[in-house]
Amino acid sequence: MSLETKKVNFKVFRFNAERDFLPYYEQYTLDVTHEEVVLDVLNRIKWEFSGSLSYRRSCRHGICGSCSIKVNNKAVLACKERLFDLVELFGDELVIKPLSEARVVKDLIIDKKDFWAKYDAVKPYLIDDIDEAPEVENLVSPHEVEQILDSEICIQCGNCFYSCPAIENNEEFFGPAAFAKAYRFAADVRDNAKIERLEIVNAPEQGVWDCMKCFECAQACPKDVNPIEKITKLHNMYFQEGIAKSNVATRHAYAFKRSVEKNGLLDEADMVLYAERLDVIKQMPNALSMLKVGKLPMPWNQPKSEKLDEIKKLIKSSSTVKF
Amino acid sequence: MSIPIYTYDAVIVGAGLAGNAAARELQKAGKKVAVITKLHPLRSHSGAAQGGINAAFSAKDSEELHMYDTIKGSDYLADQDAVAFMCNEAPKTIRWAERMGAVFSRTADGKIAQRPFGGQSEPRACYAKDRTGLTLLQTSYEQAHREGVLFFDEWYAADIIYKNGKISGVVAFNIRNMDKAIFNANAVMFATGGYARTYKINSNAHANTGDGLSIVARHGLPLEDMEFVQFHPSGLSGSGILISEAARGEGGKLLNSLGERFMSKYAPNAMELASRDVVARAIIEEIRQGRGVGPRKDAVYIDLTHLGAEKIMERLPELRDLAITFLGLDMIKEPILISATAHYSMGGIPVDIDGHVRKDNESFVEGFYAAGECACVSVHGANRLGANSVLEALLFGRHVGQSMAKDLDRGIALRPASLEDAQNMLDEMRFVLENNGTERVPELRTLLQESMTENAGVFRSEETLKKELVILDELEARYKNIRIEDKSKIFNTEMQEAIELGHMLDYARFIVDGALRRQESRGAHFREDFPARDDEKFLNHTMAYRDANGKIVSYPREVVLGRFEVKARAY
Repeated sequence: MSLETKKVNFKVFRFNAERDFLPYYEQYTLDVTHEEVVLDVLNRIKWEFSGSLSYRRSCRHGICGSCSIKVNNKAVLACKERLFDLVELFGDELVIKPLSEARVVKDLIIDKKDFWAKYDAVKPYLIDDIDEAPEVENLVSPHEVEQILDSEICIQCGNCFYSCPAIENNEEFFGPAAFAKAYRFAADVRDNAKIERLEIVNAPEQGVWDCMKCFECAQACPKDVNPIEKITKLHNMYFQEGIAKSNVATRHAYAFKRSVEKNGLLDEADMVLYAERLDVIKQMPNALSMLKVGKLPMPWNQPKSEKLDEIKKLIKSSSTVKF
Repeated sequence: MSIPIYTYDAVIVGAGLAGNAAARELQKAGKKVAVITKLHPLRSHSGAAQGGINAAFSAKDSEELHMYDTIKGSDYLADQDAVAFMCNEAPKTIRWAERMGAVFSRTADGKIAQRPFGGQSEPRACYAKDRTGLTLLQTSYEQAHREGVLFFDEWYAADIIYKNGKISGVVAFNIRNMDKAIFNANAVMFATGGYARTYKINSNAHANTGDGLSIVARHGLPLEDMEFVQFHPSGLSGSGILISEAARGEGGKLLNSLGERFMSKYAPNAMELASRDVVARAIIEEIRQGRGVGPRKDAVYIDLTHLGAEKIMERLPELRDLAITFLGLDMIKEPILISATAHYSMGGIPVDIDGHVRKDNESFVEGFYAAGECACVSVHGANRLGANSVLEALLFGRHVGQSMAKDLDRGIALRPASLEDAQNMLDEMRFVLENNGTERVPELRTLLQESMTENAGVFRSEETLKKELVILDELEARYKNIRIEDKSKIFNTEMQEAIELGHMLDYARFIVDGALRRQESRGAHFREDFPARDDEKFLNHTMAYRDANGKIVSYPREVVLGRFEVKARAY
């Protein structure tokens, strides 16, 4: 057993808000070993070549969430990303950039105030009257702990937030990390503010219904928190708790079920009509194009599943989607 | 230049378990409190604790047994009154953390689950998979945040305001833009963490540079038991990143290059679960005798394959992930490479049980408190047992917060601060930014870390320690001749690293000096030239301070005994 090495070219993003008008890149060619991670290279550059290179880092083993950056546009924790893995993915030229160029302050350091403001917004703490000198703990079964779905291991690194296309287009959107945190407490049987918290992340433009379900957050997460899974769980909670409000997204969810219940298959025209209501008029050009190529069945020859009875039973026993 | 002076009832430096727990208590007591941290609170190193937090609450266990294990583990250097206090309060403290939201693993009947740990008579370590510290750090921060505690994150605390036996605040700068501020306060608490980063192979975060220790020492105040640095048996080969004791607690076997389960030679009864110092020395001894493994022959194997994939994924998922990332080895399929890594600081700022910082053996510094790893209560003595550190940080952090609130109610005068109080910090910053020498900080730091590992590490002797003192003199002289490249005000992490190196050089001397004076072997401190414990001469704490000429002067402090008889320690 010996140390393997590879030669890699690094292009490192440099910018200092105090001095620079535009960012620029510095290039380094280094031999890296199979044990090294991106943070090792950043340290080597800072300590051997350019002392002014600035980045956040602390624990160096993926638990503090400080060192989030992008390598070839992939959001990573610098301390948890093996260089050999990146070389396999991207080849031997690696471009190291801050998580968000728009928010950069210096080199790889960004201003995360929008991220933290959204963390704050979901009341990120257990809400309960805390017994300050308890003789016994709350009894919580292993099954109940499992319902939290490891959402508590989110380390607030921001990788999902700064990879989320919804954030890029709508700065009001809370984003995947805040939703995962909201879920962490909403799913905790000890919490007394489930409804209050659900109402917060229900807000139009900001809340869970504006998620585009692109799964970028699941890809970007270095801890496998899988925020999109928690967003979907939150969607379900509105119906389970009977507090879902009628909006285009909730109606879309309901129309899904309605269609499957009726035909065992999706009736896309009906879903759009039901979800969009009068706004359906906006979809007319799409409908016409679909009609032209035979992709829009008429109501009288809408296909039905052969196992419709079974599907109906399944929906009855499992679905929570109702108003 | 004008520097704002903010006024608080209490200022806390550090936002790990101890700082957060104290801040919450002060805020709840209606005090005006600020917490200064050089990271975001959720990035503090408490979050890296993996394996567990001890409390005796299973049917077969007792607080008394927890005390006995802790004191035996400490090689009888722990103060027995402090240990008794900690073990008695532990069950309540952990249940309080649970009530605040900590996500513990559970038994089938819904109670907090516990696992075995080294040196413990019963399975006593309450755990949250292998990320116990993370849930506790989050919980302590979340509930402090919920109470409205004010955090100054990414601020660097550079100095205390100390005159005539009384403290009156903290001087700090904002890492984002170098804005400076004086935090004038009636009470100050240090919760600044440990100092193992002085060693080359260590398990600590980059932030754990022990600044708090040398800030205190620079004012001529004493540090206690600094020679006691714990080397954890299982750091990943090369990086030193920690593989929790849970790996041995769950049944990990240590093997050398001959495939021998070598612990049978060193601790035939406890085997892999002997006290940490015993296992760490056994590993280094095997490597020194040429039975090391791995590409550098600087490691031994820990074999967990017999646990099976299911148990590893259920109990040790983070550990598996770490070994894959940093070694490219999967513990489900193969043994992984580990060796001793500098891990925990038993020594620190001397305090009593209520967190009052000692000025000397007879008196205290008015308004000054410390808790957590930076403090020496002492509950760990010469060697800390696994799962007692998060306990200490959370329990004493909270208790000291309460004790500060009580003292503030009784009345601690506020001595108004003035701009001159910032002078030390301004001088230090100016020196680092403007000094135009030829030496580079990273090189000096590497020399410090490598030489400390070599000469003041797991094994020490008069010869190696004296050699280290000469090296420290040399490094100190070279430090006066440094130069940094970055002159900007925004996130000048190069300046910060230089300031931190200054601190490391200052307190490293206390470690070496204490190790040289202590001509015996006790717990984590092992002298090859004095391999036996010497209770007659050294059953006492080392108190050491820097005199006006920069020379370290030390004197003993009696160990508080009385509950358990001092005996030979065998596992």
